[in-house]
Amino acid sequence: MKTPAANKGSVTVLLVLALAGALAGLVTFKGLTDRVVRKKVPGSSIIYIPSGKFLKFAAFGFRPLAADLIYLWAVQYFSTPTIDDRFQHLDHIFAIINELDPRYQDPYEVGALIAVQEKRDVQAAFAILDRGAANNPDQWIYPFEAGHVALMTLKDYPLAEKYFTQCMKIPGAPDFVERLRANAIFKKGDLRTSWETWLDIFKQAPDERTKKIASNHLYNVKAAIDRAALGDAAAKYRERFGRFPANLEELVRTGFLREVPKDLDGKDYLYDPGTGLAKTAISPWKR
Amino acid sequence: MADAIRIENLRKTFRLGFIPRPREILKGITLSVREGETFGYLGPNGAGKTTTIKCLLGFVHPDAGTIEILGRPHTSPRSRERLGFLPENPYFYDYLTAREFLAFTADLFGLGQEEKTERIGRLLKLVGLERAADLALRKYSRGMLQRAGLAQALINDPQLVVLDEPLGGMDPLGRKEIRDIIVRFKDEGKTVFLTSHILQDIEMICDRVAIIVGGRIVKEGGLRDLVSEKVLFTEVTVSGLPPQAFAGLGESVSIQGDRVLLKVYDESLVEAVVALVHDRKGRLISLSPRTETLEDIFVDTVTCQ
Amino acid sequence: MRIGAIAGITFKEAKRDRILYLLFFFAALGIGASRVLAILTVGDRIKIIKDVGLASIAIFGVLMAILIGTNLVYKEIDKKTIYTLLAKPLHRAEFILGKFCGLVLTLFVMTAAMTVIFLDIVFAHTGAIEAGLLVAVAYIFLELVLITAVAILFSSFSTPILSSLFALAFYLIGHLSWGLELIIRKMAPGPGRTLVQVLYRVLPDLENFNFRTEVVHGLPIPPGIYLTSLAYGVCYTAFILVLAVLIFRRRDFI
Repeated sequence: MKTPAANKGSVTVLLVLALAGALAGLVTFKGLTDRVVRKKVPGSSIIYIPSGKFLKFAAFGFRPLAADLIYLWAVQYFSTPTIDDRFQHLDHIFAIINELDPRYQDPYEVGALIAVQEKRDVQAAFAILDRGAANNPDQWIYPFEAGHVALMTLKDYPLAEKYFTQCMKIPGAPDFVERLRANAIFKKGDLRTSWETWLDIFKQAPDERTKKIASNHLYNVKAAIDRAALGDAAAKYRERFGRFPANLEELVRTGFLREVPKDLDGKDYLYDPGTGLAKTAISPWKR
Repeated sequence: MADAIRIENLRKTFRLGFIPRPREILKGITLSVREGETFGYLGPNGAGKTTTIKCLLGFVHPDAGTIEILGRPHTSPRSRERLGFLPENPYFYDYLTAREFLAFTADLFGLGQEEKTERIGRLLKLVGLERAADLALRKYSRGMLQRAGLAQALINDPQLVVLDEPLGGMDPLGRKEIRDIIVRFKDEGKTVFLTSHILQDIEMICDRVAIIVGGRIVKEGGLRDLVSEKVLFTEVTVSGLPPQAFAGLGESVSIQGDRVLLKVYDESLVEAVVALVHDRKGRLISLSPRTETLEDIFVDTVTCQ
Repeated sequence: MRIGAIAGITFKEAKRDRILYLLFFFAALGIGASRVLAILTVGDRIKIIKDVGLASIAIFGVLMAILIGTNLVYKEIDKKTIYTLLAKPLHRAEFILGKFCGLVLTLFVMTAAMTVIFLDIVFAHTGAIEAGLLVAVAYIFLELVLITAVAILFSSFSTPILSSLFALAFYLIGHLSWGLELIIRKMAPGPGRTLVQVLYRVLPDLENFNFRTEVVHGLPIPPGIYLTSLAYGVCYTAFILVLAVLIFRRRDFI
């Protein structure tokens, strides 16, 4: 029979052992948990914005909630027309929201929208959308919207092409992005690549409608190529002979053209001897 | 006969305050309580009575010494299985009713449902709380709380009952009832360890006492051994005679109207006083010899330290 | 069973505490407010509702655990009701565990009630109840259990105000663990770095129980983490409780 002191001592030893065991357990499981990769999106970049850093620290486990609240506030703020200089910190504010919750989609889109439509600052929109793409490389929407802005507002076709190309690479991107890209290439002026791109689309078209669209665009590209060639040849003829040719066959006869080009459907182009320019008999979109 | 409680060389120093200043409360207590006896633990305030009980029950860890309860080391919870305790100022969960509180206490002892109900009913009757059993404890008076405390101390039919000031704050009727219950314990063979300031009650019910002063046991023994039957003086109350008549025989203590209270120290002079009253046609109202009481012993012991 | 008996009266006592219902009222208000907030937003409404709802359950759950837990043991010692308990054949460990179980039961009931309100509102908006939301709430509850243990630990030797502050500090430290990780990456190897690494391993990481971000965005939760997080929570709770028992055993109740 142990003495009472020894009994108490042995219980204490047991408890201390249990304590050590629990400690070892928790350290182990913390290590294991740390190793599991959670979808923690890269957002912990160095923020030079003091308030952003503070907010991240102040928000504890409630960063998405903080993002929500700030976004709610931002929506009200930017809808208040009486605040004259409200766009001054547009990027700052949306950067904070994005930092707090990098996967929250609405702020990126709406921020870019406000930048383009109200602040009329396309570069700010790109900054926001680029951040969205960087933080969410699996979401096609961000390069898509950037491409859209480049195409429609800025009319910077090489930039639009770059964005649409980026967008296409993301799994789940809709197929019309491919077509937008091809169009951007066309508008950029690279007719050869445009033709090849549209040809790809035509060949890989999954349904009749897409095939028709691609076909129309191919018609358009070919027409553009042909018209450029015809206009070029006619101009050269004029240099030589002082006037535009009466018809296209004359260009062939005099050797400025190898042959009279036909449109994609095999029809003739309409030639205007007064301007030396040709155009299509019908609109490419009404074939 | 085995010892219900055996304490050997119990020491405890408290270190209290922000800058700890040690105060030695128990300086080596040794005492034992035999099974079946009723033991009174006496001492002035601050002597260490309550601390001894706290050490006994495991509220406070002794610095040195050993304590055994019913043969088991006091640190083992099993030693408290047959023990019941009534604290000095009973504090209970005041939102529970007495019945609920007793049910909870019974659960702590693992009593079965039937046994639980039977005992609770019996104990409530014993302490006189039947009618108030379903009132919340916060509505109880001091006396009622004391009774509820006694009931919870008895829920496990204990062999050893520890009572800290069980008679304090009770009205005279209540005190009598509690005293009767404690005396019944003796009949049931239970051991009782109690502290009290009311020495008359201790004298009535205890078999042995110990007096603790300044952290040490200064007197211990059977009540009959400590308190002799010696007559200290006799109180005689007389009327119809002036106090001067008794000069030399006794000391007149108080005069009320024509009544005189005398203290006669010499036993032999008592007869002389009675004879004088008879001769002078006075009236003898009362005559009571005063023997040494526990209070005398107590005051004596404490003032000597 | 003795622990069960103590848990029972602890539950009875805890559910009388008005603080519980005050906090529940605010939690319900918070969850309800998510509906109103959702109207103000442009875009995905349901995200706001889920965020605010889960956050309300988490915040008010933690407040309940701290405010009630820190009072629990202190009140027994202060009001001296503990004397009658300790005079029974009870290990001091049983007392601590009983208090812990009683409080966990109370929190379970409150969390369930808040969750019902929350799921009601989500259902009203989407017509569906996602399993993911229940998972998020389950791990919030695990976090609450750990905070309860911490509150009881401090309550066994400190006053309610100090205990509340310590428990709150534990909670804040637990959510800033990732900050330590950042610091470690920037430190040069040496004794300072080792110290911070040890701290990082030992100090609580409550983000392990935070699945709110994933659930709200519908992101997949890697299955391995369920088990490791649960084991982490259990180990840490056990650690705190054993510590509480060790400290409580040594105490003198004057």
